[in-house]
Amino acid sequence: MIAYLVVFAAGFAGSLHCIGMCGGFACALGPARGGPRATALRHLLYNSGRLTSYCFLGALAGATGQFVCSTAGAQETPFQTMSADTIQRILAVVAGLLMVVMSLQFFGLLRSVHRATAGLSAIFSDALRQLLRAPGHAAPLAFGVLNGFLPCPLVYAFVAQAVATASALSGLLTMVAFGLGTFPAMLMMGGVGIVLRPSWRRRGVWVAGSFILALGLVTLGRGILPTGLLHGDHAI
Amino acid sequence: MSAPHDTLCSQCLLPVGRRSMQRRLDGETHEFCCYGCCIAFQVKHGRGEESEAAWLLIRLGVGAFLAMNIMLISIVVYTGTFDGEDAGLLPWVHLLMWALATPAMIILGGPFLRDSWQDAARGQLSPSALIVIGAGAAYAYSVVSMFAGETRVYFDTASMVLLLFTVGRYLEAAGRARAARDLEPLLAAESEIATVLEDGLERPRPVREVTAGALVRVRPGERIPVDGMVIEGASLADEAVITGESRHVAKRVGSEVIAGSINIDGALLIRSSVEGTGTRWARICRSVRAALSHRGPTQRLADRIVALAIPFVLAASGLTVAYWARTLPFDEALLAGLAVLVVACPCAVGLAAPLATSLGIGRLARSGCLVRDPGVLETLASLRAIAFDKTGTLTSHAPQLASIDCNGVAQEQVLMRVAGLERYSPHPLARAVVAAAEAQGLQASLVDNVRARPGRGILGAAVDDLVAAGNASLMSEFGWPLPPALESRASALEESGHTILYAGWKGRVRALLVFDAPPLTEAAAALQALRDRNLLVTLLTGDLEGPARRLASVVGVEELRSGLMPEDKARAIADLRQQHGLVAMVGDGLNDGPVLAAADVGIAVGTATDLARETAALVLPVGGLWVLPWVIDVSRAVRRTIVTNLVWAFGYNLLALSAAALGLLQPIFAAAVMAGSSILVVANSLRLERLADPVPPPVARAAKRDPGTRRHVPIPTAAACRSVERV
Repeated sequence: MIAYLVVFAAGFAGSLHCIGMCGGFACALGPARGGPRATALRHLLYNSGRLTSYCFLGALAGATGQFVCSTAGAQETPFQTMSADTIQRILAVVAGLLMVVMSLQFFGLLRSVHRATAGLSAIFSDALRQLLRAPGHAAPLAFGVLNGFLPCPLVYAFVAQAVATASALSGLLTMVAFGLGTFPAMLMMGGVGIVLRPSWRRRGVWVAGSFILALGLVTLGRGILPTGLLHGDHAI
Repeated sequence: MSAPHDTLCSQCLLPVGRRSMQRRLDGETHEFCCYGCCIAFQVKHGRGEESEAAWLLIRLGVGAFLAMNIMLISIVVYTGTFDGEDAGLLPWVHLLMWALATPAMIILGGPFLRDSWQDAARGQLSPSALIVIGAGAAYAYSVVSMFAGETRVYFDTASMVLLLFTVGRYLEAAGRARAARDLEPLLAAESEIATVLEDGLERPRPVREVTAGALVRVRPGERIPVDGMVIEGASLADEAVITGESRHVAKRVGSEVIAGSINIDGALLIRSSVEGTGTRWARICRSVRAALSHRGPTQRLADRIVALAIPFVLAASGLTVAYWARTLPFDEALLAGLAVLVVACPCAVGLAAPLATSLGIGRLARSGCLVRDPGVLETLASLRAIAFDKTGTLTSHAPQLASIDCNGVAQEQVLMRVAGLERYSPHPLARAVVAAAEAQGLQASLVDNVRARPGRGILGAAVDDLVAAGNASLMSEFGWPLPPALESRASALEESGHTILYAGWKGRVRALLVFDAPPLTEAAAALQALRDRNLLVTLLTGDLEGPARRLASVVGVEELRSGLMPEDKARAIADLRQQHGLVAMVGDGLNDGPVLAAADVGIAVGTATDLARETAALVLPVGGLWVLPWVIDVSRAVRRTIVTNLVWAFGYNLLALSAAALGLLQPIFAAAVMAGSSILVVANSLRLERLADPVPPPVARAAKRDPGTRRHVPIPTAAACRSVERV
């Protein structure tokens, strides 16, 4: 449970980072014509679309982990010497390393990774812009869903975490926690139009980076350290 | 009704084929080859708030939202959340999934259903039908079992199969659009808009409506829409698409500009010299369009296989269900059958050849090489021998008149008469005569009733008598005697390897025109490169053995046949084909037309006359002999890509089909695997884009930098008339 809370917190802090792109989208989605209630609905739809995509990615990642572990761990495979536990440890090491790399990016290191993801986003986001001003309730929902698949280092980090859980359900829950964590900031920015000062944004990014680094190191630890040493974290 | 087969998809520029889709978007009718292209086009070109594209994205988004939620609920169900005391909730969960799945089926399945319905109306089964049947069966089974109170429903399978195929087709089309990027400038001639200056006002006009003499404004970065002359402004132009010239060409007032080239950095005002449909660019556009809408032999085979595969897949799927239903519960048997249906969809097979071919055509086009039949690429790849014509192909494009030997007449008189005759001929020797006359300021005599004798020469009626210019056999055809002085000169010159044109009138041969045509500087390197590619290089020429042998030893030809008439050349080609296999003929000039047509691939180099172009399947840019080895490389790469695509697509289909029939593959997984297969074929084909550019040999580059050198060689004067030793 604690792990999900950490993910939630990381999502919350990390969403201050989202101001760069998703925040821009949320602002552009803007207030609806029908007053505050319509605006709230519009942004709730957008964010639930986004959440659904995250959950799907999480469940998919978790299921992938599960599939790898169960296939390789099954008795009659050539991997007989590798137990399900070993496979899960390898997954944890890979995911942990990925998360550490992503977190370094939040501290302003590894600019090339950042540029790669930013370039990819630009291609997709052009196509999505036309949805921003489309009327009706379906548009913000669809926009949220597609937005959820835009490349984002924050999302990658938690998808990596979800793979390491090696369970579809845990992967889903990881991404639910992350997605809900991003809700407050995104709703605030989009619905109310509050934009944090750059100094706060920078702090948020650092906090998010620290959380992800911590989670990454814990995940890495689960792969490397002997069983039981990180007993409290077996939930993820 | 059915679309004409020669139209091209608005998105990826592949032929739309029999399964076209028509859509009206922003007031224009577009044809698409598939649903994926339809999506990709709208996403890319959609403008405005309520555009169709936005609506399409909304549908995709909402469909994905529904399908993903069904999937998530299913995962929660599969993990056993409702197994124990909460089992009473299960029917309500099923009802919720049904409520989500029904709109998802309509939103995501609609386009596939429409697609297969259109084909069914034409009595055909399309790959879309397999998807519709698969998803529909899963949905129908789930509804029935839900109302019967069973515990298993497969709404997730039904909606995810549709979602995965939709996304797969979109990604595939987005990849294919990259193939169109190279071809776009060549196909734009018909749709481009020109800014025409009329009564001092700028008006947008389609290029095809631009008349000769119109004033056209071209801004920096725009494509020059018409052939013409610059009358205002200065700029650089990129003419690579038309001429293959990779350097930018400076344009200023008075410069000629070519339609299809790109105006780089300055605004130009151009007076068009021909109408918009008469430019080389427009002709190229028409012939590329025709080439793309032909189907190569491999593609025809693949199409036939796809058409045969669909009923087979349906039967295999039915058999799978029947087989497993004997031992397993019906729903598991049904799932195995659905997996077969989904995984066997032969989309990738249909995509294997046309994508690689049009990428190859585009890649060649970017360097100025024009392919007029996609089958040519496949033929070129398995070529065994290549035959060259001599004049203008291996030797310089511009032979010059080196000297004139006269017998009892003034050389000016000879030049005036022959120029009067030869100005009607596009033959390189003829041009040299006309150029020499102009340079001396001589007025060409009036000659009419001019007729060409292919392989012999040309004749016409001057004021006083019949005038003829050509080889010795034309003279003997008329029974015109050769004065002894000229005869000895002629045999001496022929032995030293020069080309001679005999000119005569009033029943006698009057003069010998001696031409100097040095071998092209790049010829030796190009022929060596062709031999390195295991091709037999031969020379077929109408010239006498002496000059032909001299050339052959300079450029390095393995086999030589000289003194051939056009008919002999065609026979020689047939011989080569019998001995070695597929033969290409590289030629240039009036004599080549029938020979180019007789070869398996007719290749015309640059300055070829229009007749030669009509029969050449591949046209190289001006001075483009050095590109030929690279063209062979490209065609071999294209064939390699087609083969790997087909092996991959078939192998993958067979493997996946076996796995599915054995019940080892979930339908959702099968759909993902299948979408992945098409995307891999696209990715494999796109590797063709990374082919290296042709590298001009250093000598060719040097010659290009100073194209005028040869044309400014001193023109024969009266003094040179007798001193033929100069050559």
